[in-house]
Amino acid sequence: MTDSAIALAPVRDGSRVPSHAAVWLIALAGGGAAAISLVIALTNDAIGLELGEPLVIALLADFITISYVFGGLVAWWRRPASRLGPLMIVAGFVMFVTTFAWSENDVAYTFGQALDLVPPVLFLHVFLAFPEGRLHGRVERTLVATAYVTAIAFELVRMSLGGFGPHNLLEMTSSPAVAEGVRHFQLVTVSALCLCGVGVLALRRRRSGRPLRRTSAVLVDSFALGLIMIAALLVSATFGGPWVQEIRWATFVTIGLAPVAFVVGLVSARLARVAVSGIFVELRSEPEPADLRDALARALGDPSLTLAYWLPDFESYADLEGHAVELPGAGKRAVTRIDKDGEHVAVLIHDPSLCEEGELLDAVTAAAGIALENARLHAELRARLEELQGSRARIVEAGRNERKRLERNLHDGAQQRLIALSLELSLLEEQLGGDPEAATRLAAARSEIAASLDELREVARGLHPAVVSGHGLEVALEQLVAHAAVPVRLTVSIGPRLPEALEVAAYYLVSESLANVGKHASASSASVDVTRRDENVVVEVADDGVGGALEEKGSGLRGLADRVEALGGTLRVWSPAGRGTRVRAEIPCAP
Amino acid sequence: MRAVIAEDSVLLREGVERVLRDAGIDVVGSYGTAEALLSTLPNDEPDIAVVDIRLPPTHSDEGMRAALEIRARHPGVGVLVLSQYVEVGLTMKLLAESAEGAGYLLKDRISDVRDFVGAVERVGSGGSAIDPIIVSTLLSKRRSDDVLAELTPRERDVLELMAEGRSNQGIAERLVITIRSVEKYVSSIFDKLGLPSGGTESRRVLAVLLYLRS
Repeated sequence: MTDSAIALAPVRDGSRVPSHAAVWLIALAGGGAAAISLVIALTNDAIGLELGEPLVIALLADFITISYVFGGLVAWWRRPASRLGPLMIVAGFVMFVTTFAWSENDVAYTFGQALDLVPPVLFLHVFLAFPEGRLHGRVERTLVATAYVTAIAFELVRMSLGGFGPHNLLEMTSSPAVAEGVRHFQLVTVSALCLCGVGVLALRRRRSGRPLRRTSAVLVDSFALGLIMIAALLVSATFGGPWVQEIRWATFVTIGLAPVAFVVGLVSARLARVAVSGIFVELRSEPEPADLRDALARALGDPSLTLAYWLPDFESYADLEGHAVELPGAGKRAVTRIDKDGEHVAVLIHDPSLCEEGELLDAVTAAAGIALENARLHAELRARLEELQGSRARIVEAGRNERKRLERNLHDGAQQRLIALSLELSLLEEQLGGDPEAATRLAAARSEIAASLDELREVARGLHPAVVSGHGLEVALEQLVAHAAVPVRLTVSIGPRLPEALEVAAYYLVSESLANVGKHASASSASVDVTRRDENVVVEVADDGVGGALEEKGSGLRGLADRVEALGGTLRVWSPAGRGTRVRAEIPCAP
Repeated sequence: MRAVIAEDSVLLREGVERVLRDAGIDVVGSYGTAEALLSTLPNDEPDIAVVDIRLPPTHSDEGMRAALEIRARHPGVGVLVLSQYVEVGLTMKLLAESAEGAGYLLKDRISDVRDFVGAVERVGSGGSAIDPIIVSTLLSKRRSDDVLAELTPRERDVLELMAEGRSNQGIAERLVITIRSVEKYVSSIFDKLGLPSGGTESRRVLAVLLYLRS
């Protein structure tokens, strides 16, 4: 993470939050100030001469005072880290102080008149300092400082030159012509500086080269409009242009609306936080990386958002396409890091104004962290499942091969030898001729051997159904059906031979299911269907018995499910009480 | 009678050879693989081939395939298949269209020398030999409308022996009754099962097996 990102990260320092008492005091003072301005305007005649209808102009001045004081309070309270709030409050109160110039009290008048041009400069300051409450770079600072000097110093010079009437305490000499020249210079300079401010705003917007967040865009536009109006007002007042009155009213309204736009922006940011709950819902469904960026951009209301992943192996950031991403330098775009469990995961590169909405950013970052972690866990889980599936298939396959080998050994070894032995005894019996006792004993020995052979046959068949691998599923199933405890309708349509593992699994499935039908189902008939459907072999055994069989109950069914699942298939059992049992396996098989 | 043998176990091959020779059957060829059996068959000109169902190289279905090929291409040669397992499905596959000159026995039956030789001679002369296990399996098979229950115990005995491929003479000897009685039982069985009576002994084997299998 770069220094710029740290510098831009919102500082939420609890000590800077204004206390409730301070908020109430300032609000009360703002209200009081507005009332005082109104009283001054209505009780003094002087105002009417220059500014027009006293009530209208007083109400407009009050509108600006209240708008900036209360807008500033909201800003201060919501964004304690930003100096914008206090600056706006100051602007509101300075606006109030300038209304002292309507007073007939000498001190009040002198004070108010001295600050007469400060409010436009303060508005310029506020607009340029948005959103952090700081000015960026030397140009902006020079601009604002020049404006302050022009507004205050030249005002004092002008007042010392006289021409302000009887209440001006600063009058030293009376040179109205020089004073008029200073006034022209002063007004034109402040107008020009305001227009420079518009240029700065426009430049700032162009330089970012990305769509601004909607609330920011509206605000910046209202700032620029305010500055243009101030410039227009000052120029028209200087040169006595037409409709000075109307321009003045319009300017006051425009300037007073800027804090309103600002508060609306804050409220919509609050609403945006509601969108964070939406993002959790959206991200829950394992989003594609591109969807994740879009969802984050939507939740933050910042279409310019970039999501850059941290690649630990390369020690750099990359976007979705894997292109390297350079973190922006100070003062341009802001960077917020996404960490998960102490691991650096990604960064969001976003509009700096989002730093003012720290909670929103935090919530979205947390959501993104969870989503990214989810995606990682899902990927890991998938990899492990695949591994597990593979190892289960290998275990089943190894077991099957081993059993097949054992069956072969029994067949080629013990069984053949026993048959040969039995034959030998039989031939011996013939040689011995008529000895009845020997014949009886030999017959007994042969029947022992026959019993052993039967048992061996059962063992061998249990180990591996040689008939299945030798002659195919269809041939082998016929024997199972013939041995079944109930009449069974057998349908097999699978075409040519299937892979041996699949045939063996299907054989055991039918064998076990038919055994269950005989043991538990109290059925009167059953059916076995083996069909090939697209890429799958479907094996279904159904009976008309009592139902109620559960997969968990019989370990036989669990073992069958293992076999089927090891081949990537699925096994389902339907067994509603009183309505028979249906066991159905679908096993994928390459065409 | 001329016989050839295909059996990969030397022990059993020699045993079968000996049993057949002792019974006066001319063993003209004795092989360990299906390939050797098939390639020399035209020269050997046997009446019967005794074939192990599992033969090299894969020990899966080589013997069965050889048996089916002989039945298809040398209809005059009887084929007796020996197997460690007897299966209904394999029986029907071997018989397919006819039971003539076809036999399918559990390998264990070799040691019942007299019976085994009888089966070889039957198959070698165009008859059939079906393992009793197959017949009893088919008889025990559950079916929805059980006509078999209407058979008398004696008729059942006759049916079993008939299905094994035995002649009326053979059945009469086995049950110690007259051939005349056997014929009476046979026609009564065919009546009860609703099968057309008559035909050769091999033909009635297939008819009975197909009936039992259905």
